[in-house]
Amino acid sequence: MVPLSWYLALSAVLFTIGAVGVFVKRNVISIFMCIELMLNAVNLTLIAFSSFYKEASGQLFVFIVMTVAAAEAGVGLALVIAVFRNRESLNTDDTNLLKL
Amino acid sequence: MQSLNLNYYYVLPHIIVAITGIMSLLFGVFNKQAHRDLVFINIAGLVTAGASTVRLWNLVTNNAKDGPLTAFSGMIVLDHMSLAFIFIFLIVALLSTLISLNFLEDENLSPEEFNSLLMFATVGMMLMASAGDMVMIFLGLEISSIATYVLAGYRRTDLRSNESALKYFILGSFSTAFLLYGMALLYGATGSTNLDAISNAIKSGNNLITKQPMTLELLYVGAAMLLIGFGFKIATAPFHVWTPDVYQGAPTAVTAFMASGSKAAGFVAFLRIFVITFAASYSFELHTTWVNILQVLAILTMIIGNIVALSQTDIKRVLAYSSIAHAGYALIGFLADDWTSVAFYMLTYSVMTIGAFAVVSVMAGQGDEKTDLESWAGMGFKSLGLSIALLVFMLSMAGMPLTGGFMGKFLIFKTAWDKGFHIIVIVAVLNSAASIYYYLRPMVTLFFREENESNPIPLMSWTAYVTILLALAGTFYLGIMPGRLFSLLDVAKDVIK
Repeated sequence: MVPLSWYLALSAVLFTIGAVGVFVKRNVISIFMCIELMLNAVNLTLIAFSSFYKEASGQLFVFIVMTVAAAEAGVGLALVIAVFRNRESLNTDDTNLLKL
Repeated sequence: MQSLNLNYYYVLPHIIVAITGIMSLLFGVFNKQAHRDLVFINIAGLVTAGASTVRLWNLVTNNAKDGPLTAFSGMIVLDHMSLAFIFIFLIVALLSTLISLNFLEDENLSPEEFNSLLMFATVGMMLMASAGDMVMIFLGLEISSIATYVLAGYRRTDLRSNESALKYFILGSFSTAFLLYGMALLYGATGSTNLDAISNAIKSGNNLITKQPMTLELLYVGAAMLLIGFGFKIATAPFHVWTPDVYQGAPTAVTAFMASGSKAAGFVAFLRIFVITFAASYSFELHTTWVNILQVLAILTMIIGNIVALSQTDIKRVLAYSSIAHAGYALIGFLADDWTSVAFYMLTYSVMTIGAFAVVSVMAGQGDEKTDLESWAGMGFKSLGLSIALLVFMLSMAGMPLTGGFMGKFLIFKTAWDKGFHIIVIVAVLNSAASIYYYLRPMVTLFFREENESNPIPLMSWTAYVTILLALAGTFYLGIMPGRLFSLLDVAKDVIK
């Protein structure tokens, strides 16, 4: 059996990759995918603990996280489309109207 | 094991507000003409919800001895703290509804969707206030955030509004990921997602499922992640960079809602986890660790917020940085383990912030075009009433006696001082003295500068008029006669054991 700590290490690595990606990436869609990666790292942590403890509440949490992430993706992509219609670009370097 | 206690009475305010949101959506489908009447649906719903909140408050006061009331398998907790914050959210929603009518009508945006999104966001915040489980905090947070992302981008064709919504969305979901990771690690450390169970686990030092001593690394890393997540939500210093951009670009009515409601919602969940679940009596080391970190964060937040506000030229950015500084002041209440002072502070802060943004939304004119302070030069005598109202709100934010802002700060500083946090209180007092400079700068521009071009006198709708009057009345009421509220909150201090 794979020990719990391996799962936790993997999800920590995935979370870090996602968090770094948010800062490094310049395309809004890529940034959004990095955030999804972070959420899925969290899901992996929850499931690992849940199966380690043989208890269901962690898995239920994952269901809710997935549902909410889907709703968030719906709203987020709609915002991205609205921005693209007005600006014809998805590069975050171009979204610089609001600066001092 | 808790019983599945489906007590709908405990979530009556939430249900009423949710129904109000759905009704205003349906009303828009069936009645295309009567946009103005929608305001009355919202007002009626919010007032009814407020009345039911008062009834629940009495219920909680009468049952104070039996411990906290819970419902839905511990998902919902009914105590004084949740009800006090629910009341704040209802006031915020009411005032935001009133300011928003103006710009929706001027720019021909559909008010039915706006109003229902505002109500749904309020429901999310109310759920965060009464959450008794990490799942519920997350759900409430997302219900309010997703609705607020849309509200921030409500001016669909305006690039500034688009950009604000996009930035809010990306940083909001980024911070939610941190919050969730913290929750997952906390679940791993303690073996439960229920906050009451978590506090029991922390008290005994054992994992609830394995009955072994819990892994402290998981607990501490989890708490740190939660701190980062909440830091983003309430805009404390190293995590505040999104605030000015988002506040500047969003429609002013939405900015008012975000600056007061979303921030108070972040605060109540933060209080619920850090002050109540991680209370000093449960785990002394954990408590002292986060108190030390929060002290540093609060000092950083106040100083950065106030210093950067000095160099801002846009009134909405000035108010955004001022809201960052205010988050720093409110954090001091955390150190003293006293939720009542934080709740009172959030109430006074919400009232004066919404008042100030209401004035800004009128002065900025159609499309929020004139938010640059330069374009306000010499407007003071043309719009005397508005300018004086703004002066009152600004002085209240700076902490002038006789206004609500003074009482809020006084209560927070006093409780922290009594608990021995002297240095941070001195820093905070110095900060609020320095903040008078940038609060008075708009007044100088308004009254003592030559007018650039002949600006038209800003037009004011009756809703903006009512909002500003209500906010003024609230500011003075909280500053002059807070005795009744103080005694109510004094009775309610019971949450922390």
